[in-house]
Amino acid sequence: MRAYLEIAVRKFQDKMAYRLDFFMGIVNTAITIVVYLCIYRALYAGASEVDGITYRMVATNFVITLGLSNAFGYNEMFLQDKVHDGSITNEFLKPVSFTLRLLAENVGEGAFKLIFHFLPALLFTLLHTRLCPPKSALHLLAMLGSVALGYLILWLLSFIIQTWSFWLFSVWGIITIKNVLVSILAGTLLPMWFMPAALRRVIACTPFESIYFTPVRIYLGELDGAQLLSGVAVQTAWIAVLGLAAWIFWRRGVKKLVVQGG
Amino acid sequence: MGELRIAVQSLKMSVQARMQYRVDTLVASIAVFVRESANIIVIYLALLKFDAINGWNVNEMLFLFSILFLTYAVVVSLFADLRDFSRMIREGRFDRLLVRPRGLLLQLILNNADVIASVGHGTLGILLFLLSAGRVGIEWNPVTILYYLCAIIGGVLMQGGIFIICSALSFYFVETGSIRSIFYWDMRRFAGYPISIYNKLIQTLLMYVVPFAFVNYFPAQFFLRKPDMAGYNEAYIYIAPLVGVFVYLLAYLFWRVSVRRYYSTGN
Repeated sequence: MRAYLEIAVRKFQDKMAYRLDFFMGIVNTAITIVVYLCIYRALYAGASEVDGITYRMVATNFVITLGLSNAFGYNEMFLQDKVHDGSITNEFLKPVSFTLRLLAENVGEGAFKLIFHFLPALLFTLLHTRLCPPKSALHLLAMLGSVALGYLILWLLSFIIQTWSFWLFSVWGIITIKNVLVSILAGTLLPMWFMPAALRRVIACTPFESIYFTPVRIYLGELDGAQLLSGVAVQTAWIAVLGLAAWIFWRRGVKKLVVQGG
Repeated sequence: MGELRIAVQSLKMSVQARMQYRVDTLVASIAVFVRESANIIVIYLALLKFDAINGWNVNEMLFLFSILFLTYAVVVSLFADLRDFSRMIREGRFDRLLVRPRGLLLQLILNNADVIASVGHGTLGILLFLLSAGRVGIEWNPVTILYYLCAIIGGVLMQGGIFIICSALSFYFVETGSIRSIFYWDMRRFAGYPISIYNKLIQTLLMYVVPFAFVNYFPAQFFLRKPDMAGYNEAYIYIAPLVGVFVYLLAYLFWRVSVRRYYSTGN
């Protein structure tokens, strides 16, 4: 555990070295927020609420999901690159698990982005837009736990596709399509509340709802008591299912791996 | 005429080079298409729930988007080298052009096309145009067709001009990626939507600094005449294609002045 924590911290420090990236990250995040808040405001066209959802709730949903999706973004071509140049074999010689090491690095990078891209952009947003506070301190705490589970779901989805690089020449296209599906179906750009009813029912059967929307609903207090627990239970179930799939793909991929030359 | 032959030949080479990896090219083009569709799917779903965004209904929004994608498809088949110019300088590939008997800018434009992006954006642009153009009440006659073509050409020149300016900045600064990112990509993100939804500052940026409003918003207003046009000068609609020409000429002059400062990165 100490080793993985160390890896996460290293990655965090690594990222701090690139000051320009840091600045651009803030600008990008702030601009995305401005564009979408303007779109939502124009869609609301002065209405105080639509289907019981206020503009402030929509803005809060957007800022939280955007922050999380920023933090959850990392180099998803990592495994493929390692397979292509054969350096994956070095990884197997190291005394740490490759999978956990990858997770630790991604978490470290996510923590960096959350603190240095998202927080400044959030402060910038608060200058001109009022967001909903969490329902209570307890809800905020529960939300943070739920965010961690949502992160694992998204990470496992990405990892499963990354393992396909043992079989495919390039997984870039599939990863791009996966990211589009996440950005639409997880409610990053259009809040889940406003999805067509039929689509919403489909999404409820997929892991997408558990990624961002469950944490947001806990934060806003839409999920409370028994509902909160069942939301978290669904998240946990998805982690179990995806975790199993990831484990199977990874084991099979490693067995299939043949690296030529030395 | 020699230039035209070079252009055709080099486009053929770009396509053939990509076709070495057929499946990969196809998958990548589809991925670009899907990635770019995301914003459109979202606005489509949103307008199922809400009726309009500042008076623009879903077909009018698709028409607005279509111009952005169509122009970009042409831009990346011509200006791909200028889009990735800082990398070209870093890798020393720019030096190769200096010893050839043709103008530098001309070579940069005629060489290399980003086939994947061009196919991805182009397909999406054509699809959006076909979906929307018949449903927004446009009467196609010689005048409107002529205006449409001029607007597309103007839009291509405007974006090409921005790429040229960003490239010319590479002669002054080592790393220009962030300038390009803010002045092109971020401004383009704003331009997908009617500019009237933004505050004055962003509107000013889109009209007078990086005039993306003249690529799709004002040309679309020529056909649609939405009520939010009341906030702007009517003349903007008619000068829209000329803005592209103006930006391009400005970019050309800036390039001519800047390229003299070029020193190779060495080999």
